[in-house]
Amino acid sequence: MVWLVVAISLALPGAMLLTLDNLRPLVPELERPAQVSVMLAGVLDLEQAEALQRELATWESVEDVTLVRRDEALAVFGEQTGLSGLLMSLDRNPLPHALLVSPSAPRTDAALSQLVEAIDALSGVDRVIVDNQWMSRLNQALLATERWGIALGAAMVLGAILALANTLHLAIDARREEILVVRVIGGSPGFIRRPFLYTGLYFGAGGGLFAGVMLWVLSLWIAGPVNTLFFLYGSPGQIQGPGVGYPMALIALGAGLGLLTSWAASTRYFSRL
Amino acid sequence: MIEFERVSRRFGDQDALRNLNLAIEQGEMAFLTGHSGAGKSTLLRLLLLLDRPSSGDIRVNGEPTSKIRSRMVPRYRRRFGVVFQDHRLLFDRSVHDNVALPLVMAGFSPTDTARRVRAALDKVGLLSHEQANPAVLSGGEQQRVGIARAVVARPEFLIADEPTGNLDPQLSSEIMSLFEAFNQVGVTVLVATHDLPLISRLRHRIITLQEGRLAGATAQ
Repeated sequence: MVWLVVAISLALPGAMLLTLDNLRPLVPELERPAQVSVMLAGVLDLEQAEALQRELATWESVEDVTLVRRDEALAVFGEQTGLSGLLMSLDRNPLPHALLVSPSAPRTDAALSQLVEAIDALSGVDRVIVDNQWMSRLNQALLATERWGIALGAAMVLGAILALANTLHLAIDARREEILVVRVIGGSPGFIRRPFLYTGLYFGAGGGLFAGVMLWVLSLWIAGPVNTLFFLYGSPGQIQGPGVGYPMALIALGAGLGLLTSWAASTRYFSRL
Repeated sequence: MIEFERVSRRFGDQDALRNLNLAIEQGEMAFLTGHSGAGKSTLLRLLLLLDRPSSGDIRVNGEPTSKIRSRMVPRYRRRFGVVFQDHRLLFDRSVHDNVALPLVMAGFSPTDTARRVRAALDKVGLLSHEQANPAVLSGGEQQRVGIARAVVARPEFLIADEPTGNLDPQLSSEIMSLFEAFNQVGVTVLVATHDLPLISRLRHRIITLQEGRLAGATAQ
């Protein structure tokens, strides 16, 4: 019973940490250089577009410029949407030439908007699309989730400590008679405390072990859908299970909490005898 | 040798002990008597350092107990064997384990412990009950187990607080004989009791407390 309470209190923060561990490697992948898509005016022909590409490439704030020709764009669009048949039937390509501009470092928000303004001011540029807002939103969302997780985890760990403290208090109280006798006949505080430290260790480490098992079962259970999700997003990633490290850390954390709590509970109890 | 030097213990505005001077010689056996509230329990608690005097000092073999720091108190208490009125046995373990408790505390080896426990149980006549649970024993037997536990670590002093309070005269007499036997091998014995008919038959000093003071002592 106590094991289960401790296990649940430790497994939840553990699961949260594991989730964050799984998300973290995905973020750098998302954080690849923010790209600026420059849609050129429809009237510009390929030569003019190439001239613009060469000019932009000389800018200090630009690292790289790729030209996407309108027929290339149409082919890719048709392929991705499965509408190539329909697009073939169009008598002319509705897409303009486009430039993909990678800004050079540092890619601060200010530098980026300055660059966007400068590109926008060029003649022959129809529209500049910056695809970075959703990324900063995602980053903030991740940050908020992380903090929320830490707060929730701290509350759960506090719950585990309270459950342990209550159990230990009952265990100590059940042996009150023994404590009083042993004290009178010369038992040292360490001797009196030792069995309760073992009790705390037993419940704490046991709870940690259970939490590790829970984490294993949980990650096995959700691995299927999550891996499919990764696959559907074209990511080669696989869900990262708790391994050996997580259960070990949970057992160590549980054992530490158990020892500390039993030490505190027994000290408090003995001081009132 | 135990010496009380002008020891007082005050609880609020009540004096439990007032300016008590008392000496118990090495190897002596003495009875401590008096009405309830006369200060017997307070005196024993002070001697075991379960409480400290408000003033005065207690010397054990010349060493002032006021100088004993709390870390050293457990070691000090192991010089005493203590017998309680309600024997205070632990019913969650066997007679053997109850008696072994002081030895386990002192860190004796298991073989040494077993040998000493059997010797102590033999002295109180309960060797055959070594593996029994103390709950199945009679009141007199339980008290003898308590005495075995008190003497198993061969203490210098044997302290008993109303050891015969719950026993009939026949059993009480047997218990007192046990204390005398231990006294004869050199243990200093102090027994708090108000069983005056019993102790007046025995030839030992009777220390009487009255309202926290020494009322009179008979030397024999």
